[in-house]
Amino acid sequence: MTAATLTLSANMEDYLETIFILIREKTVARSRDIARLLSVNRSSVTGALQALSRNGLVNYEPYGYVTLTREGAEVAEKILRRHEALRDFFVRVLAIDSDEADEAACRMEHGISKHIVDRLIDFAEFVEVCPRAGAKWVHGFGYQCREASISKDTCERCITRCLDEFKQGVRQDQPGKPDVPLKELKPGEKGQISRIAGAGGVKQRIRDMGVTKGSLVEVVRIAPMGDPMDVKLKGYHLSLRKDEAEDILVKKVDTRE
Amino acid sequence: MSDKVLYVAVAGQPNSGKSTMFNAMTGATARVGNYPGISVERTEGNVRLPDGTTIRLVDLPGTYSLTAYSQEEVIARNVIFNEKPDAVINLLDATSLERSLYLTLQTMEIGANVVIGLNMMDEVKKQHIHIDSEKLSALLGVPVVECCARRGMGADKLLEMARQQALARPETIEPLYISYGPDIDPVLEEFTAKIEAAGFMTERYPARWLAIKYLEEDEVIVAQGRKAGPLGQALEQRVAEVSAALQATRNTYPEAMIADYRYGFINGLTRQDVISREDDMRFNYSDKIDKVVTHRLLGPVIMCMLLYAMFYITFTLGAYPQGWVENLFALLGALVESALPEGLLRSMIVNGAIDGVGAVMSFTPLILLMFLMLVFLEDLGYMGRVAYMLDRVMQTFGLHGASVMPFIISGGLPGGCAVPGVMAARTLRSKRERLATIFTAPFMVCGAKTTAFIMLTAAFFPENPTRAMFIIVLLAWAFALLTALLLRKTVIRGASTPFIMELPPYRLPTLHGVLIHTWDRVWQYIKKAGTVILAVSILMWALMTFPELPEAEREAFEAQRRGIEQQARAHTGDGPSGQIAEGLITDALTAMDDAEAQASLLHTFAGRLGKGLEPVTQYAGFPWQANIALIGAFAAKEVFVSTMATTYSMNSAAEIEESTDLSKRLATDPAYTRPVVFSLIVFLLLYAPCLVTVVAIIRETSLGWGLFTLFGSLAFSYLVAVGVYQLSSLFF
Repeated sequence: MTAATLTLSANMEDYLETIFILIREKTVARSRDIARLLSVNRSSVTGALQALSRNGLVNYEPYGYVTLTREGAEVAEKILRRHEALRDFFVRVLAIDSDEADEAACRMEHGISKHIVDRLIDFAEFVEVCPRAGAKWVHGFGYQCREASISKDTCERCITRCLDEFKQGVRQDQPGKPDVPLKELKPGEKGQISRIAGAGGVKQRIRDMGVTKGSLVEVVRIAPMGDPMDVKLKGYHLSLRKDEAEDILVKKVDTRE
Repeated sequence: MSDKVLYVAVAGQPNSGKSTMFNAMTGATARVGNYPGISVERTEGNVRLPDGTTIRLVDLPGTYSLTAYSQEEVIARNVIFNEKPDAVINLLDATSLERSLYLTLQTMEIGANVVIGLNMMDEVKKQHIHIDSEKLSALLGVPVVECCARRGMGADKLLEMARQQALARPETIEPLYISYGPDIDPVLEEFTAKIEAAGFMTERYPARWLAIKYLEEDEVIVAQGRKAGPLGQALEQRVAEVSAALQATRNTYPEAMIADYRYGFINGLTRQDVISREDDMRFNYSDKIDKVVTHRLLGPVIMCMLLYAMFYITFTLGAYPQGWVENLFALLGALVESALPEGLLRSMIVNGAIDGVGAVMSFTPLILLMFLMLVFLEDLGYMGRVAYMLDRVMQTFGLHGASVMPFIISGGLPGGCAVPGVMAARTLRSKRERLATIFTAPFMVCGAKTTAFIMLTAAFFPENPTRAMFIIVLLAWAFALLTALLLRKTVIRGASTPFIMELPPYRLPTLHGVLIHTWDRVWQYIKKAGTVILAVSILMWALMTFPELPEAEREAFEAQRRGIEQQARAHTGDGPSGQIAEGLITDALTAMDDAEAQASLLHTFAGRLGKGLEPVTQYAGFPWQANIALIGAFAAKEVFVSTMATTYSMNSAAEIEESTDLSKRLATDPAYTRPVVFSLIVFLLLYAPCLVTVVAIIRETSLGWGLFTLFGSLAFSYLVAVGVYQLSSLFF
């Protein structure tokens, strides 16, 4: 646990991070690859690895593979998490494109305190979870940055919709719940559509009939021979075969009695 | 202004009550049904408004959307693009407002001059839903009229609004602009700019609409674009890129985003106090009915009971009016007989025309009853449930839930007709399932075949003809399904088509509607009796009359008759047994008459043909008389009974009660053993569809397929009949 208190230079953190990524992707890290990824020469890599090895973070022998010690892996993971949190925040909340975000995260991750990083992560999570915000809200901000302007009209529409969805006990993009094929719902069960796999022809027809992302479906009953199923959505009954219901992914919704 | 003719199209989703409204507006008899996609044909009508304006109305096919998914959708949008109606009345099912508005948005995106009709407002009010039509009108910027097509409410106002909109119509209407969000909008803008700059198909379509269709990968538009110029290829390329990017970043497709945003737009509309529910009555009456009627166990039981009840009602209740019609024609025959001198003309009118048409017409009451019930169930929405319940079964045989309807119309319940049945197969999207359905639907017991089967069952199964009839119907289904399976495993192999169908709420049809639609079909039947069957009857009469027996042979029969009389007289003299002898003589003379009749029939064209076919048909056990009737019945199956009657009772055909007399006559004929009867029934069930049906099949598919159906089913039925005859000969 000493590693947590250990302060590494930004430079060293970059090395550790790179090694961690290389091991994750290729199972081994070689100094040649490290040099290429960080755009530095081989001798600097050797120096850095020696320093990290001294701190007990990497196992390093010249001309051999580089591996991380358990401590080293822990530290690297933390750095990486910080990096990813920052990048996600830029991309998902601030709607910055991913290359630019990556670069900025790289530079900011070393200079920013753990406390602030944690707050940023919390905020990003809050935005996703809060019924008044949600991924749609963030999405809306991205749109707003690029072209549209906020009008009273659109705000009112958005808030009523949000409140409505909240009252129904459902929200868009609930994180955590797994997607299940509509086919697997039993009569009486409800789901919120998260995605329809595939496009064209029949899939388009299904979407045209109102089976769109976010809409609620209830399996009403299954036909006498076990197929097709009768589902209710948007206030009407639709009959479709289980083959089609297979490709419609939903998140189960608790039916509050 | 008053003599101006305005052109207005009526659009709407299936089951929106569009056809009912169309009827209410035009007073015409457009076909309407609760089965999605039934009005595929183009229906037009004229209305004269009080101010003297004439409106020419065209009924667009019922579609959920305006993509290229089905022929109907392409037709609907093409009418708007090509014929440029002055206004488009869009009828919505207000009980399903969100989904109904989906079509409205697309119609407005095209730039059509839309007037919205909110139909089924009575149901909406019953469900305690409040719809603010004024607000909807304000938000969409088009007139909205509340109506109830079933009661004809709102029809006048819709027409008036359409008139006003049409007259106020600007040169070009700005198509509705919907934002498709940050991922799609920039692409649409880019596409629109390119399309406008190149003038790419813009003479026909609005630029932004084209851009949307490209992103939706609309087959029809993309194909047209390829011919229109190089920009088509470029746009397709870009769509592929955009689609790939969307799949990578958002795990979705452009078409999905477009549908999402359209529904989002609708959501945005309806949330603005357009619709409010006092109470979420999730469990309405229709759901309650379905809970029983489509129940896993009860559903099929109810369905079978209902079908049997229809069957029973038709044949027991229908027997009375059937008798009246028969008597009417008997009377007519007797009248003509007494008015005309004996000779060829009288024979042609009585034996040919009146007998032939009368045999067919006497079944009109049965057909009327059957259709009355069928149309009622169809308009009620029950037939859709039947398709839903039977889809799985149909799928097993390589068919589709939507095949049930063509089968039933063709005579899955006796009394149908294969011609509308074959046409009803249009609702099937997949070509393979459609062809299999079209091939096998004529196996069903149509009204014409019913006549033959009633006669045959009365003759050979007198103890329980209704049960025998029921078994024949089940046989028809079994053969249709098995043959379909055979076809789908050999000639038309391929995957099954998805089953996506709306199950509309049950709606009690109006008496007016049911009567109109029943009459529509019955009239078709009567018309057929008056035209095709009249002609065929006379033709058959001629074939069975000419050439007449040569004078010499007739003389020979005459001489034999005289011989019998003289012999008899010489033997008995004037003794007390004279009376008995009289009887014997009469019997002998009758036998002689019959022999002469048989000889003269054999001498005719028809007789020679029937006899000539005997070497082939002997394996199936048919007597040559039946051959004649079967040939005649190819023209129209109704002819079977009348031809059989003529072959057996020719000269005494004046005694009209043909089918019962004929049944008695056949029952006593030793030629008709059980195996012959079985093989004849099976052959009659399966062999070539009648001429009119073949023409319909050719029109619906192709000449090749029509001929394949004709000869294929002929060969198939022959093989089955031979098999049945040979096998059952072992047992009886």
